[in-house]
Amino acid sequence: MAYFDVPEIDYPRYSNRQLAAVPLAVLAVALLVLSGSFLVYGTPVPLGMDFAGGTELTVQTTTPEGQIPAAFEEQPESVTGAGGNEYIVRFSETDSQTLSEQARENLEQDGNSELVQSVSSTSASFGQQSQQTALLGLVVAFLGMSAVAFLLFRTFVPSIAIVISAFSDLVIPLAFMRLTGIPLSLGTVAGLLMLIGYSVDSDILLNNHILRRSGEFYESTFRAMQTGVTMTITSMAAMLVMAVTAFVFNIDLLQSIGTILFVGLAADLMNTYMLNLSLLRWYKFEGIRS
Amino acid sequence: MSALDAIKGNWRVLMLVLFLTFAVVALFVPGGIVADDSLAEESIESGPTNLEFGLSLDGGTRIRVPVTGMTAENVAPDAVSDNGEVDQQRLDSIESTLYQELGVDQADATVDVQDDGTVTAEVFVENVTEAEFAAALQKANADASEDDIRDGVTEQTRDQMISTIQTKINEAGLSGGTVYEASTLNDEHYIVVEVPNMDSNELRTLLSERGVVQVVAYYPGEDGNQTKKPVLTNEDIASVDAPELRGEDTPGEPYYVVPVQVRDSSASEFQQQMNDLGFTSEGVGKCDLPEENGNFQFGEGSGSYCLLTEVDNETVAAHSMGDTSSGGGSGLATNMRRGNWANDPSFFMGAQNQQDAQSLSVNLRAGSLRAPLDFENSQIYSIEPSHAEQFKQYSLLIGLLSVITVSGVVYARYTDTRVALPMIVTAMAEVVILLGFAALIRMPLDLSHVAGFIAVVGTGVDDLVIIADEVMDEGDVNSARVFQSRFRKAFWVIGGAAATTVVALSPLAVLSLGDLRGFAIITILGVFIGVIITRPAYGDILRRLLTNQ
Repeated sequence: MAYFDVPEIDYPRYSNRQLAAVPLAVLAVALLVLSGSFLVYGTPVPLGMDFAGGTELTVQTTTPEGQIPAAFEEQPESVTGAGGNEYIVRFSETDSQTLSEQARENLEQDGNSELVQSVSSTSASFGQQSQQTALLGLVVAFLGMSAVAFLLFRTFVPSIAIVISAFSDLVIPLAFMRLTGIPLSLGTVAGLLMLIGYSVDSDILLNNHILRRSGEFYESTFRAMQTGVTMTITSMAAMLVMAVTAFVFNIDLLQSIGTILFVGLAADLMNTYMLNLSLLRWYKFEGIRS
Repeated sequence: MSALDAIKGNWRVLMLVLFLTFAVVALFVPGGIVADDSLAEESIESGPTNLEFGLSLDGGTRIRVPVTGMTAENVAPDAVSDNGEVDQQRLDSIESTLYQELGVDQADATVDVQDDGTVTAEVFVENVTEAEFAAALQKANADASEDDIRDGVTEQTRDQMISTIQTKINEAGLSGGTVYEASTLNDEHYIVVEVPNMDSNELRTLLSERGVVQVVAYYPGEDGNQTKKPVLTNEDIASVDAPELRGEDTPGEPYYVVPVQVRDSSASEFQQQMNDLGFTSEGVGKCDLPEENGNFQFGEGSGSYCLLTEVDNETVAAHSMGDTSSGGGSGLATNMRRGNWANDPSFFMGAQNQQDAQSLSVNLRAGSLRAPLDFENSQIYSIEPSHAEQFKQYSLLIGLLSVITVSGVVYARYTDTRVALPMIVTAMAEVVILLGFAALIRMPLDLSHVAGFIAVVGTGVDDLVIIADEVMDEGDVNSARVFQSRFRKAFWVIGGAAATTVVALSPLAVLSLGDLRGFAIITILGVFIGVIITRPAYGDILRRLLTNQ
């Protein structure tokens, strides 16, 4: 079996500015994508059914995919095959009763199985409420995480380094969602919240090794990296597998959580070992000690 | 080493074993730790484990829906005196002014005294504006301006609706249905109804039926035209028996009846009215209201004396009173005419077919929904049991694949079975304990919980990696003391990481964001179980393997 080792990076070669430039540039691009999207579409990320309202039917039918839209009076927003004779049909309309009746009347039944396998529908007002709740949840989670970071280290620079890199860990997957068209759903919100928890682990580890241990700076950094990178890669692998298999089986919730966490953890690798590290090095060697 | 020392030295591992045993018992022994036979039977039927599954893994429908209506609070302080006495006449007069001014049905406006002694007026229709409501209240000399009126209904109304819906679901023969209330941040309330084994259209139909049952007298009025007059409502009915089939051996189509018992308080008035309106004299047996495709043709059949059964203002049956009962004894009309019916006030409400009779009986038993539900602003989730069963299998597979992947990565990193194997075993133990806990408290598992479990494996292994690296740092561990000190250092990081995860996910465990609550709860529980039980035990196992003590 192939095994992996965490490579030792020649940090002294790069200045703090150089190190921080890359993650900051990526963060800037991500923020640009989100604000641009906000100006053009009105929302930084595309909103899924959970937040915008709409109906989703999972139908099992022998009617060919191309003819499915014709079964409904309302033009579906999308029809996606879900393996076998299963299709997921999405509407912006929220009258699920009428839609599922139309499906039952106009689509061909596949053997004995129920035509409408699953219905889920959210009204616009309900979506609006969920949006506010989710936003509040994210803000509270982020503030709570920041408070814990400050409590743990009780010094400004190392704590703020954690907060900035966690912020970037959230913003980058959000921009990724906009670029790839993954809508914001309950699943992706869960992924983002989980990310706050996950991404801080390696930051705490790094700060802890550098600030609270004896030993030379680069030596401590390398040791923290060995552990931290292993942790992140393990989680990324688990999330990738979850995202891919959930994609194959068409389980939206698990797929979104997996994808968001995978992208976010990748961003976290960069943020922790470039952004957070450069801030720490600056604090350790040049910063004003408080 | 004495036995006591052995226990002392390995108490963390022993704890882990203890918890694992408990979890396995909770999971697999029928009835689990709570040795309740009724529950055991159910679990044998449902599967090999004691795990309960929620909608998304077992099938069924969930509807979250707000109640239609608006409320004016504290409208008549004068109606309740300081010693708590209520001026019922005043309340009734406000209520009837509301019916007249707003042109709404009796069921759609109500004035009630709340638990705190204030008087609240509610209107349960959508097409009345706040201004109209305020104006109507002012007409009734009540104390209310447009600003005092808010959207939504009172808690009392919601509580009543929840118990009515619960009865309706139970009466409809659906076991395992639950009804509860949830509120949003901006203090909007909605009712959540969850029923396994029912599709969304059926449940919606059941819930959108208001179930206002009325018995209406249909008779030739003084001007000779047919007149309708409500004579009995849900509230006048004391008890209801199961529907019965009637008229099989008499000419005409057979029909169903629902035997009901009228409240003593309403019985004599009903009897009096029937006598006054002529139902027990010239109207005996005279009901020939024509019917087409289930719709009664009012306006025809003049001279009819019919007792109409109306559900939500729709006539479901029309019958006359007879002088002889089907058993051959004296009939309803006779007894009423003689005035002794009120002593034993039971009679039969008619229905066209079995389904109508069943729903009539459910509506009579459950009572009417105090207010309609606002399906325009609802959220519906429904899944076929077979489809949910697929999700269950897929989730298991995804979970297994994730564990295998994590194991693979961990092994690839350490290439040392002594480190990697206990790591994998510990991580799995964490999941088993968590599953056992879920089985113990009978938490219904959904897809979101599955995501939580996978996240727990992720964080769990992260922490184990921290412990392993820390313990093996700077060469071999040669003494228990060195081990302890390194382990403690590792725990500082683990504790910090655990605290952030708990803090980050706790808003989700509290806020009502539907499915996500389960995910947050499982993840938080997992973190606690990990920090308290499994991760310290891993440290001990690792110490034994690395130091040979």
